[in-house]
Parts: sequence; structure tokens; C-alpha cells
Amino acid sequence: MSDASVAEALRSDARLVVVEAPGGCGKTHQGASYACDFAPAMGSSRLLILTHTNAACDVFASRTRGHSRCVEIRTIDGLIAEIAAAYRAPLALPDDVGAWARREPQGYDRLAQKVARLLTIHPAIARCMAWRYPIVICDEHQDASADQHAIVMSLYHAGSRVRLFADPMQMIFNGTQAAHAAAEQRWVDLKAAADRFEELDQPHRWANIQPALGTWIMAARAALRDGGQVDLTTNLPPGLTVHVAENMSPQRTGFRVAANVSQPIYARANAQSLLVLTGQNDRVIALRGFFNRRLPVWEGHVREGLSSLAAHCAANRGNAEALARGTLAFMQHVATGFSPTAFGNRFVQEAQQGCAKPCNGKPQHLQAAARHIVETPDHRGVARALDHLRGLIADEAAFAEVRLHHHREFTEAIQLGRFDNADDGFAEIARRRTHSRPQLPAKAISTIHKAKGLEFDNVMLLPCDADNFSNTKASRNRLYVAISRATRALMLVVSRERPSPLLKL
Amino acid sequence: MAIDAHPPAHDAPYIRHLSVLRFRGIEKLSWFPKKGMNLLLGGGDVGKSTILDAIALLLNPTNGATLSDADYWQRRHEEGFEIAAAMSLPLSCGIVEQRKTSWPWEWSEEGPKPPDPEANDGQGVDPVFCVRVCGTPDFELLHEICQPDGSFDHFPVSVRRSIGVVRLSGDDRNDRDLRLIQGSALDRLLSDRTLRSRLADKLGESDIHGELKDGPKAALADLGNRFQKRTLPGNLSLGLIGGPGFSLNALIGLTAAKNETVLPLSSWGSGTRRLASLEVAAAHHADHPIMVVDEIERGLESYRQRILIEELVASPSQVFVTTHSAPAVHAAAEATLWYVDAGSRVGRLPATVAAQQKRDPETFLARIAVIAEGATEVGFVARLINRSLSEDMRRHGIWVSDGGSNSEALAVLRALAKSGLTVAGFADNEGTQLGAWQDTKEKLGDLLMRWEQGCLESNLIPHVQDHQLEAFIAEPDGDTGERLRTMADRLGLADKSFAAIFAATDDIRQLMIEAACGNPPADPEASDAQKKAWKKHGQRWFKSVAGGTELADKMLALGLWPHVAPQLLPFVNSIRGSVGLEAVQAIG
Repeated sequence: MSDASVAEALRSDARLVVVEAPGGCGKTHQGASYACDFAPAMGSSRLLILTHTNAACDVFASRTRGHSRCVEIRTIDGLIAEIAAAYRAPLALPDDVGAWARREPQGYDRLAQKVARLLTIHPAIARCMAWRYPIVICDEHQDASADQHAIVMSLYHAGSRVRLFADPMQMIFNGTQAAHAAAEQRWVDLKAAADRFEELDQPHRWANIQPALGTWIMAARAALRDGGQVDLTTNLPPGLTVHVAENMSPQRTGFRVAANVSQPIYARANAQSLLVLTGQNDRVIALRGFFNRRLPVWEGHVREGLSSLAAHCAANRGNAEALARGTLAFMQHVATGFSPTAFGNRFVQEAQQGCAKPCNGKPQHLQAAARHIVETPDHRGVARALDHLRGLIADEAAFAEVRLHHHREFTEAIQLGRFDNADDGFAEIARRRTHSRPQLPAKAISTIHKAKGLEFDNVMLLPCDADNFSNTKASRNRLYVAISRATRALMLVVSRERPSPLLKL
Repeated sequence: MAIDAHPPAHDAPYIRHLSVLRFRGIEKLSWFPKKGMNLLLGGGDVGKSTILDAIALLLNPTNGATLSDADYWQRRHEEGFEIAAAMSLPLSCGIVEQRKTSWPWEWSEEGPKPPDPEANDGQGVDPVFCVRVCGTPDFELLHEICQPDGSFDHFPVSVRRSIGVVRLSGDDRNDRDLRLIQGSALDRLLSDRTLRSRLADKLGESDIHGELKDGPKAALADLGNRFQKRTLPGNLSLGLIGGPGFSLNALIGLTAAKNETVLPLSSWGSGTRRLASLEVAAAHHADHPIMVVDEIERGLESYRQRILIEELVASPSQVFVTTHSAPAVHAAAEATLWYVDAGSRVGRLPATVAAQQKRDPETFLARIAVIAEGATEVGFVARLINRSLSEDMRRHGIWVSDGGSNSEALAVLRALAKSGLTVAGFADNEGTQLGAWQDTKEKLGDLLMRWEQGCLESNLIPHVQDHQLEAFIAEPDGDTGERLRTMADRLGLADKSFAAIFAATDDIRQLMIEAACGNPPADPEASDAQKKAWKKHGQRWFKSVAGGTELADKMLALGLWPHVAPQLLPFVNSIRGSVGLEAVQAIG
């Protein structure tokens, strides 16, 4: 039983224990029960649990209730921000390091880089931390960046016992190929450096719902990891549906299927819960259309459009025309249909000319929206203009073709107007978002990236073809992450004409 | 389930920099003490004890200390005071396990600084933690840890206790630690928290009323009646009652049996009391507390001073000791010596004074130490100064010390001049180390008397007139034979009469100088036996402390003074000036 040997390894004297932990195999249970067992022996020191998300912090906190005095649960970014804040003067950081990190592009990455270097050059600082945290548990370590990993390892070298849970098959991120290769290499090195290496292989998550599906997902994971194909020809478990439908869309990121094969797909969308997964952002928008906009887009936790907009507003205060251009770019990020030719150019032109020319109809509406920017040429004017546009989209026939897809991001941009300073406002909105943890909708369309960590009863992955799942390590990981989101039912929409090399049909 | 992942705890805690601002008599002090023993020397009232008190307050193991306006510089409590230290700490003291993380600073020559994130020397941080205690304008004490980001966190009692400070103060309050007073070392050692209430219960049962004699009993009953007439509460009796300001535990102290009689330890001699206090304080520290001992010699015979110093030096603890005792200074060979001057500046006496420390520890305890380069100069300078004072110079704290040799005297002078200790020098010009002598002269001015040429003898003898020669040669007991013999030997004469010698040389004074200085034969081929014999000639003349005294007396008696007064008078007057005396015009 892997569960027993993992539990034993965690409790052993081994300094570095690495556990390969596929999703749903009870790693949180293993980590938390180990923490609860050891907490009473911690004395005045502490057991540190490092996660990557606030949600994971909450889960560990509820599983280690009663031990909060000696179990400290942090996001690794939070820990890094604390170290960086303690040494902010030599690291050349401003007073509020957390706000800085939320506001600056790649703020947390830059903090991690500085702190990793600090701890490497000055092991005495790491020794102090290792004394405070003689045991460190790392959750989802495959998500750690090179610098985050270096920080954990500096604690290990300074004397902490480190227990790492990682699923290398969930290593998916938008990095360069070199970064991906480096992450793979870190995993290989980590396994080699470990005093104990264990694997969790019991699919507990499915045990009471759809056990055969869990077993099948574990087998698929092994096949993908070991360079093989996922066999869809035989022994399909209850809950798994393989549906053949060719994507006939002429556009690269579009989606359309023949009427005779569309019915099973639409039928699924009538279920109470459904997560539709696909590869790229653009295809998410296409799928939204495909499902007649009945399914909302899951926006995840990152707000690229808002981040650019806030920076743009801060940089272009007083310049109404530039602000209008930034607003247009933002609209194209969160919506479809607000094209330059139909809306944008006129909108910018109005801002440029001070909204002076009398006009009627659609231009008049655009002028009214742009006037907010002309009157208050900063992020507040932009926010008011966006608010105005929201009303137009809802009420005016001329704006009926404008479709909002990223509602939350759009709402947050309007909220930006309540802050005196665009940068601070963005940082504060980001802070609130991480702490409020938005409720998942019952149904959603999401990219595989943004679905990491989500669980849905009913999952549909499409299109599963050669374009989306080629034979690369990254594709293998993405395919595994996608299929392992499902707890009861999984539908794969596959292609026979352009079959994915990862699937055996 | 033992957690042994901790890296080993190492090293005793020690203070690497101490800064004191506006605490008692010290307005501002910045000091870099050393590991091991730090021996603080200096006159009275210069702040040595205040430095020790500051350290003890910073690491105070209780929160109970109360402040008065005397704890503030010039009683200006509205400005507050601050005692801060950068310390190397073993992590086992718990400083990194507080509610908020404490972060280390990087140690550098100039003190603590935030670690350099660009450092590339592979050394990494030599970590220190910064702590401080502030006296607030409203007489409260704030113990704080200073973080590298400029913020302050609480510096808790638990951490202070596990760093530990063992204190032996110089005043006579030190039987405090032999009593069960709250927060005393004995109280902390026993730490029996319920003793007080258990004792109170027990004492409450005592029948005091029953112990009264009949007369007093009647008086009490009478008082009871009077109370009743005024409708005050009646039925009066006596019992043990507590109250503010009374501490039952303060009545409890250590006792020990002496010749089968049980006596409170506080009634023993002060030395025993002090050593006992030190033991009590040290007993409950498993590790290596910082030790603070004021006036180590108090109550202790010199052999016990030596033993105590040697034990403290041998312990891994950082130790702070003040003393005015020569045996203590002598025994503290391994210690770092510091001199605290009247401005509360702490100057280091470098290792180059070690020989002087062994030779003459009094050097470091005087108000002004005069380093004379040899025995002759010691005798000469001492007599000269005494004659200028018309009394014993030691009454003024002036100490004349033998520097050992010209070069050693120079080394000691340079070291002491840098430390802040008031020092004067008296030396020959041997034509060596001219640059170093020049530097020292610039620093000391008239306090350094160094002959422009030659030595004491060669500067005095040329001024002896012909008719004074025989009187000059004569030893204080009137004998002349030994000294005439040395001159006759140098001339190869069998006859050692003055007349014969006078006739055989054309420069009798030069001959006297050569004999008095023990100069070697001019012929380099001379035998070793002859060289040795001629060198010894000096001892027949003035090469001793008594010889130097004699020379001074003769200089004054024979009227040679005016010839050397231009050089010697400024020297004498600057020594007088350094102890607050007026200059004199002449010495008689």
C-alpha cells in the first residue's frame, strides 16, 4: 500500500522526502495528518506548510485545526513577501512589498528571485528560518518556480526536514520550452537528491463516486507519463464517453461540428454541472458561441487585461486619447464585437477631439462614454467610461453585438475607479480577489491552465485532436490535467481525421 | 517523536556592539566589546558601573524593574533613554521562534547592517540580532528586537532569560539574590510559584493572640470595649495580615550552618556573600549567560580575586568586569582591557600592553601613569614629582611605572595614549624608532619628556662643576670606592683614587657618563668578559630605582636644575596639570 509507505516515509528521520502525488490520491490528507502528529512535538518551533494558493491554505487549516500554534500555513509567495519585507532596504523594495508585488508585472517572480539569491548568499538567514521551521511541507511543488524551489532547498540545506508533494504530470505553465525543460530537470534532480522517494497511487477522490473512472485515470496518467498512449479502444470505465466529432471550423481557433454529431455534446450541456475544457483562450470564446453563450467563462485568478489597463492608466494620466486607446484594448480583451471599425476608432476620436462635435445615434453614445475620459483623464474617467459602456451594451440595440466574456475582469476595471491611484487600486483588487475566493459556477468553459485545481462532476474535453494534443511532454501533461478534473463523468470529443498521437482510438 | 532537525546550537551569546544614549551619567556611548572577558578600568564616576548596569537592564530577566528620574541623563526623563546592542546569539535562545520572526542583521566592522544582497565573497552573513531597551518619558521600560526593516518587535522575557545575564553588582544590595524576593536569582532558581500562598495559609494559622502576655491581652480587651462604645467592630484579636509593600517572601533567605549554628547567608562576610550570589545566579543557567561583575575585588582577598578572574576567563561566557585591583588586572592576562575615560569613552588597551600588565598592573589603575623607560628614570621621575608636590604623588593618583626598556616603553605609551588613559612618558633618545617617538610626542605633548640627545646621566653630568665632582660621585652613604673603581678599570689604573683618575683623563665627565651608563669598551675586539664587566658598571652608579632617586636629589642639591629645567619643568607641570594642580615655576 503506497499510503502506508508514504505515511511512514513522512514520519521517518529522512531529511528530504519527495512524494509523487497525483491529484485525488490523498496528499492533503497525508500532509495534514503528518502535521497533526508532529505538531505536539514542535516545542516553540513550528511546522511550516507551503502552498501555492490561498484556497489550499484554507484546506490545510481546516485539516489541522487545533494545532495553529505550531503549524504555520502560508502561500510560498506570502513567505517570500515576508522575507523580502524584512530585508526590503537592501533588496531595494518599497515599504509595502506585498502591494508592490501585486502591482508590478511579474512582481512575485521578481521577489522570489531576490529572496532566493539572498538566502543562497547568506545561509545564516536560512538557518534562522530552519530553526524556526524544522519541518517544511510543500504542497503542489510542481508549481514552484526555479526561485521558489531554490528558497525551499535553502531551508533544507540550512537544516529543515523537507517533505515535498508534487505531481510532475501537472506541470503545465506558459513558459518557454527551456523553462519547461529546466522544470523537468529539477524534478529529476529532486528525485535523485531525496532520501526517500514515494508515490501515492490510490485514487481516493473517486472511491465513493466512480471508482472505475479513478482507476482508469490513474492508468491513463501512467501511460502519458511513460510515453505511451491512452487506450480508448477497450475497457472503458463507467462515466467515460468517447465521442467522435470532427472540428469543421475554418478558423484555427474556432469550433464547429456537423449537426449529426452535435447532439450528444449539447445534451451534456444540459446537465446540472459541466466543465468544458479546451486548449486556448481564443477557443474558449469560440466555444462560448458554440454553446449559445449559456455557459460562462471561468476567468481564473489572473487578470492580464486589467493589469495592462491599470499600468496604461498610470502611465498616461492627462492624455485622454491614449486613455481611450487603452480602454479600447481592454474592451477587446474582455469582449467580442467592440471592434475598432464599428466602435473603437470613433471612441478614440471623440476622446482626442474633446467630445465637441454634436452628433446622434451610436456616435452620440460613444461620445457620452468618451466624455468621462475627457473630463477626468485618468483611471477614474476610464472606469466611468467602462461603466457607461456596460449600460449601453445592456440597453442599446446598436451595441447588441458586443458580447462580454470576462465579466469579472470587466467589473473589476470599473471598481478601479473607486481608488485614488490606479496602481494601488489594482494591487488592492488583486488582494481582495485572492482572499475572497470566488465561488465556482455550476457550469463553465475554461482553458486547461485555468482549470488546474478544479474538480467537476462532469467534464468535457474538446477538441481532442492532433492540433491540440501533439506528442510533447507539455501536451501529455495538459491532457492528464484535463481528464483528472472529472469525478463522475468525462466526455472526450475526439477526431479520427486528425487523431491525437496520445490517444489510441 | 523527537525533532532533531535543528542545526546544532553553538557558541555563547555575546555583545558585539553596545550603544547607550542618555542613560544615567552616560549621554552617548558606542562600544565594540570582545568575546570572553572585558575588563573595564578607569577612575571613579566615569560610568564603568553604568555600562554594566546598562547591559544588565537590557537583558533583565524580569519585567519588574522600576525607573526613577536618576536613570535618565541629567534627569531629563522627557527625552527617554536607549540601550541597544548587536549580539551574536545561539538560535537555541528562541529569538527566531517568537510569534513574529526575528531576522538577523549582517555584522560588519562598523556595526550591524542589513545583509548585502549583492555580496559575492562567499562568506555570507555573520549574523547578529539587534535588541534594545528604552526608558520612555513616562518611566516605562520597553524591551524590543530591532528588525532589519526598521520595525521593532517585543523582546520577550523568555528570550532574555535564555540568553541570560548573571550580575554581581558592586553595591551592598547584593544579598537581594540570596533572598526570595520576587524576581531575584534565588526566586528564579527555585521558581516555586505557590510557595507564597501556601506559606500565607500556614502563617494564618499562627495563634498570635494566644502568645500575648496577660497585660497586653487586657489592653487589647480594653481597646475592644472602647471600640464597642463607638459602635466600631469589636472582638479584637491579632493575626498575620498581608498588605501592599509587605512581602512575606522577602523575609525568606538562604541559610547555612556554621559550626552547627544556622545563620542567614546574608550575615556572612561580603566576599562570601558575593560569591554565593554569583553561584545562585549562575546555577539556573544551563548555558553561558553573559556575566556582569562590578568591582570584582570587593570583599575578596587577592587570592580569591585571582581565582574568580581565572574562572571567569576560562568560562565560554562573555564577561564584563570592572576593577580597581592590581591583582585582578594582573590575573586577567587573557582578558581584553578597556579604559573608560571621564567622557565615558571606552578605549581598548591593545595586546601590546600585556607585558606591562604582568610587570606593573597598577599602571592601568592610576589617574595618570608615567611610563619611565628604566629603573633609574622611575626613581628620578618619582623623586622629581614628589619634590614638586611636597607630598607623596600617590595621593594624587600619579603612578610611575617601569616601561622595561626604551622600545617597550614606547609600545606601552603608544597603546595607552590611544586608549584614552592619561599617560606620560620619560625616555632616552637612543636614536631608534624616531618616527614612532615623533608621533607619540605629537599626541602627548609635554607629557612626554624625551631627551633631545642621550640619556639622564649624559644630560646631567656635563653640568657638574669641578669642585662638585667628588660629592657627585659619592654614594648616599658617603662611600666612593665602587664608582671610582669602575672609572679606574676603564682607564686601566690600579690606583682608584680620585686624584689618580682625574690626572689620567682629560675628560672626567665623559668617563663618568660612560661608567654610569655601563658603556662597552671602544675596542670592538675586547673580550666578552670585559664587555660584561663594563656593562655592570652602570649598576654601581645610578642604574636602579634608588640610583634614580639619588640622581634627582643630587641634581637639586648641586644646583644642576637650571640646566635641565627647560626640559623637565614643562613635563612636571603637565603631570601636575593632568591631576588638577597648578603649574610651578621651580622645584626645590
